[in-house]
Amino acid sequence: MKTAELSVGTQRRARLFGSNQQARSEALWAYLLIAPMMIGFSVFFLIALGASLVLTFTSWDMLTSPVWIGFANYTRLFGDAEFRTALWNTTAIAIPNVVFRLIVALALAMALNTNIRFRSFYRMLFFMPVLTMPVAIGTIWKWLYDPAFGPINGLLGSMGLPRPEWLLEPRTAIIAVVIVLLWSGVGYDMIIFLAGLQTIPRDYYDAAAIDGASAWQRFRDITVPLLTPTTFFLSVIGIIFSLQVFDLVYVMTRIDQTNQLPTVVYYIYEEGFRSFRMGYAITVAWALLFIILVFTLLQFRLQRRWVHYG
Amino acid sequence: MTRQTVKPTLARLGLHAVLLSAGLLFMFPFIWSISTSLKPVSDLFQVTPSLIPSEFRWQNYSDVFSSAPFVRIYANTIFVTIARTIGQVFIASLAAFAFSQLRFPGRDFLFFLLLAGLMVPDQVLIVPRFIIMRQLDWFDTYQGLIIPLIFSSFGVFLLRQFFLGIPKEFHEAAKLEGANPFQIYWDIYLPLARPALAAFGFLAMLFSWNEFLWALTVTGDSNMRVLSVGIALFQGQFFTNNAILLAAANMATFPLLIAFLFFQKQLVEGIALSGLK
Repeated sequence: MKTAELSVGTQRRARLFGSNQQARSEALWAYLLIAPMMIGFSVFFLIALGASLVLTFTSWDMLTSPVWIGFANYTRLFGDAEFRTALWNTTAIAIPNVVFRLIVALALAMALNTNIRFRSFYRMLFFMPVLTMPVAIGTIWKWLYDPAFGPINGLLGSMGLPRPEWLLEPRTAIIAVVIVLLWSGVGYDMIIFLAGLQTIPRDYYDAAAIDGASAWQRFRDITVPLLTPTTFFLSVIGIIFSLQVFDLVYVMTRIDQTNQLPTVVYYIYEEGFRSFRMGYAITVAWALLFIILVFTLLQFRLQRRWVHYG
Repeated sequence: MTRQTVKPTLARLGLHAVLLSAGLLFMFPFIWSISTSLKPVSDLFQVTPSLIPSEFRWQNYSDVFSSAPFVRIYANTIFVTIARTIGQVFIASLAAFAFSQLRFPGRDFLFFLLLAGLMVPDQVLIVPRFIIMRQLDWFDTYQGLIIPLIFSSFGVFLLRQFFLGIPKEFHEAAKLEGANPFQIYWDIYLPLARPALAAFGFLAMLFSWNEFLWALTVTGDSNMRVLSVGIALFQGQFFTNNAILLAAANMATFPLLIAFLFFQKQLVEGIALSGLK
């Protein structure tokens, strides 16, 4: 690279001539380079966020002008049984989803963090669902769960077991959805766990083996504690994303135009773009933001009790 | 770096058996979806369905094209995905370069602002964004589908981390040669960041291809839909039976899965990178 060879003279000249002017030109260039990002961010994030907050104090059907109604949307939120159902469904999906995903992902990552052959082939198998369009996943699994003609009930029936109406009952629908989310998301957690496992120094295991620690003890006393930062990261973003589930569940559980398992984001969409209660829809969205923040802060609070930073 | 050594052959075989059966279980939905998409209608209504179709009805795939504006929504999806991906990579890498390599007043504050943006879920912003689209008359247009989604704070964050890892000497040397910051970005940093750009580009592409909520909100005309929305909404209307529906779903997903086979290494590394920072 020719730019790397610099004479001492050039360096001295650069130091002598207007460092002030140079700093100003550098700043101007910087503003120019970040301008596209910052303009888009201002319009589609900052302005949108401000407008969104203002609209929570209004009633608005998108046809006439918004009407100022003070805190009425917020008081309605607290007495809204439909919102409570949606929130319950969402948390009942999100928490088991994150827990099971972490457990299965760690097991898979441990199995793949060995010297066996075809590692990348196996990794690919578990990772493929992560890449698949959630709408397509919902479509495929809805058919797998079909009570009359699906293979899951076909198998249960041929073993003489009852054939549940999976997606028509909220209780079994939650189980069904958690299984699908586990299938579709575990590959991501596995990749992150694999990266985390790679950072644990080999000497730790060797030393423990010399001290006579069993495989289980090595797992419990080395692997698990040293992976806690990774686990923490995955559980924080896992909760954030699963509280926002929408498309997959929407496709799976919307049967004959009614949704058997409405989630919070589904409720926001319905209130806003079907019932045209924009002000209230946005208020529900803010409630969701608040709930996500509470979950995240709670996890950061609890992190001191179990996360070990090297 | 650690990689556990599994020595005894028996243990190794056991591990293969476990991984292979788990892998098969993971592939089952895809396999079943392919099998269903090739079945004649009579096969769809069996109480104990079989994996192998009684006859292979390839026509289900051509039926997808004749029963819905599928070519159009396929083309829409490809176009919108390419435009969003190029936009995101270019805009985010420009900003990431400035945030990591240049000094300017307000730098840390502006970067913090972008990071804060990562925490706000899109649902809070969707109605105001929709209003902006109506004001601009962008409902049912490509710019409406594309432009609101080309500003990625996540991309700025990811690429900034990568640029910070490039030795400062490259930058200093080029500066003394008289190159302006854009030239330094274009000639030095972009080529060096190719692995990170590829990883982020693939993530952006994946996200864009699969995106649903915004596309559902900003379009109404069947001809302006994208694949995700089409498959969710056309069930029963255009795709009259499950074999045709799953043929459509397969065609919407398999191109990306095949692309993944080629970019596997970069993508996995990129994801690991995004997770560990």
